[in-house]
Amino acid sequence: MALSALGDARSGKLAENIVGFGRLLRRAGLPVDSARIALGLRATQAIALENRNDLRWALESVLVSREQDRIVFHELFEAMFRNPEIAKQLMAQLLPVSKAQQNSVRRRPRSQEALSQPPAASGPDRSPPKEEHRLDAAMSMSDSQRLRNADFEMLSASEFRLVQQLATQIPLPVPLWPSRRRVAGTGAGALHWAACMRRAARTGGEMIDLPARIPRLRPLPVLILVDISGSMERYARMLLAFLHAATRGISRRVFAFGSRLTDLTPAFRCADPDDMIVEAARAIPDFAGGTRMADSLRTLRTEHRRAVIGRRTLVLVISDGLDTGDLSALETELSWLHRQSHRLVWLNPLLRFDGYAPLAGGASLLARQSHAMLAVHNLSRLEELADGLQRLLKRG
Amino acid sequence: MNLAPPAPPASPVSISDWVTALEAQGYFADRRTATALHLAVALGRPLLLEGEPGVGKTELAKAVSRVLGRSLVRLQCYDGLEQRDALYEWNHAAQLLHLRLAQDREAPQEIERQIYSPQYLVARPLLKALQAPAPGVVLLIDEVDRADEPFEAFLLEYLGEYQVSIPELGTVSAQAMPVTFLTSNRTRDLHDAVKRRCLFHYMDYPDRDRELAIVRAQVPQASEQLSQQVAEFVHRLRSRPYADAFVRVPGIAESVEWAKALVALDTLHLDPEVVDSTSGVLFKQKEDIAALEPLMQELLAPEKAA
Repeated sequence: MALSALGDARSGKLAENIVGFGRLLRRAGLPVDSARIALGLRATQAIALENRNDLRWALESVLVSREQDRIVFHELFEAMFRNPEIAKQLMAQLLPVSKAQQNSVRRRPRSQEALSQPPAASGPDRSPPKEEHRLDAAMSMSDSQRLRNADFEMLSASEFRLVQQLATQIPLPVPLWPSRRRVAGTGAGALHWAACMRRAARTGGEMIDLPARIPRLRPLPVLILVDISGSMERYARMLLAFLHAATRGISRRVFAFGSRLTDLTPAFRCADPDDMIVEAARAIPDFAGGTRMADSLRTLRTEHRRAVIGRRTLVLVISDGLDTGDLSALETELSWLHRQSHRLVWLNPLLRFDGYAPLAGGASLLARQSHAMLAVHNLSRLEELADGLQRLLKRG
Repeated sequence: MNLAPPAPPASPVSISDWVTALEAQGYFADRRTATALHLAVALGRPLLLEGEPGVGKTELAKAVSRVLGRSLVRLQCYDGLEQRDALYEWNHAAQLLHLRLAQDREAPQEIERQIYSPQYLVARPLLKALQAPAPGVVLLIDEVDRADEPFEAFLLEYLGEYQVSIPELGTVSAQAMPVTFLTSNRTRDLHDAVKRRCLFHYMDYPDRDRELAIVRAQVPQASEQLSQQVAEFVHRLRSRPYADAFVRVPGIAESVEWAKALVALDTLHLDPEVVDSTSGVLFKQKEDIAALEPLMQELLAPEKAA
């Protein structure tokens, strides 16, 4: 290690380098603040630098706090401490005392970004699309009645936008379930001793009633799996908008599946439904492609298995069940999902057809492995969804 | 923090010391781990250990408690963990009995003083860690990701000050600052504020040699050949492309258990049959056991050549 060139912490050269390094990491997106950098300096004094990697590991344990940042840390560490030339250039940029210089190092994008001059702040263009909803005010009773019962597939573009807005206003009270935390209440439960004593104090030490600590009710966590194949496109958009608004404030994970699995949870964090749809569309590389449900579920099982929380999760699968993948694999994956979820509910837009029966390969598997199949093809069906879910849970 | 970092005479003072001391306790730490540990103790910060299940996070805390000669206080976190389970609780039933017995004999103020005395306080792990006399304890807050966010907020305060206030008794400060470990299996991300209090160390699976050392130390009955084969086999399982076939690859605990199981079956060297019949020790899921079978020949073959 080029430690001799860098000096030691007490004489100031190493200190300067570590401050510069901390700022470099911050620029690469690591949460490094001044307190951390100061701790980093103390750390370098606490180790004896017996081994050439000690400095690296000492700084890692102080300056890195997330697993995913480790690679970037090590790349930048190499750049900063192994090559005095680069270090000099970087210091020139990072410390306000000296003039900035050009640097020409080639590295991975995140490191490179941190190593180069900070660009002017520019985020993705978030200006909302300007569109008028002229129908809003003018909607008559018969219009609204028609739209309530109109199939999403049959709507014109402007009607679709209107209905999408209406859909975001439909409440979906997700069933409540006792959590492990307890709150004061009445009924069966553990005795709430503190409250008992307080009440007894009011009645001169006599215990007249016995407050209990009962489990607090919380909405079940929700896992939403939405099929974004060509046949589902409009329903998928509509239901994403609906569920985005309806499950606000509930612990939720959202995945889109088509030819592959896409995590839409980050997109769902956008507060605005339009932003959410834009973000989701950006995240999904294969909107309106084919469906290979088995592969997608396998990805879910191997890479996102914590999306299904300890047999408590309410899983909503939005799909028409038209699957082009391997059926035996699909059965394995679906039965895994069935076992892991509290309830597996299939929201099927094909139920719009009278006399529809899930006979196709994928559909029959879904029907067998899900606890219930509910219709979601128009607004009035969405309104009934909450009732359907409640009934399903009561059934035990 | 105005507390001096704990420095009992036996405490290792350098990274190499830590490596040696831990090894003497049967824990084979790499230098990276020892560096993080040394800093946590020297700077008096909690150490947050993350990593897959079975890489030895909890074991590290136990080994450190043996090295430092301090007792280990462990708080196992779970969903719904409350302050009353983590910190302290009044023994209300005993207080009530005392109240009833004393109410005719003593003045009200006196009774109140008596029932809110430490005698009726049930100390839970976090309070115990503060009350312990010098040299203090090693505090292990295990699987902190399982507790919910309100608990994390409380922990933040606790780890910052190492003192808690009990309204009826006053403030309890640490007699000797505990050496604190937090472990997380990353079922969710911890809050940044908690991470800022801590030093962070991500634990990887051990390399082949370290695993071999662990197996040798933990299962001395196993023949040298078998230990080597076990270490090699498990190491292969965890490396690509094989690792991709499994949902969860075996941790250190599993490889040690497996070596023990093989010894119990009087195995001298690995063959497909014996691996197949003991695969339930390595893998805990039907899918993974099924995935092992087609790979078996490949996993075993190069070793035999070697």
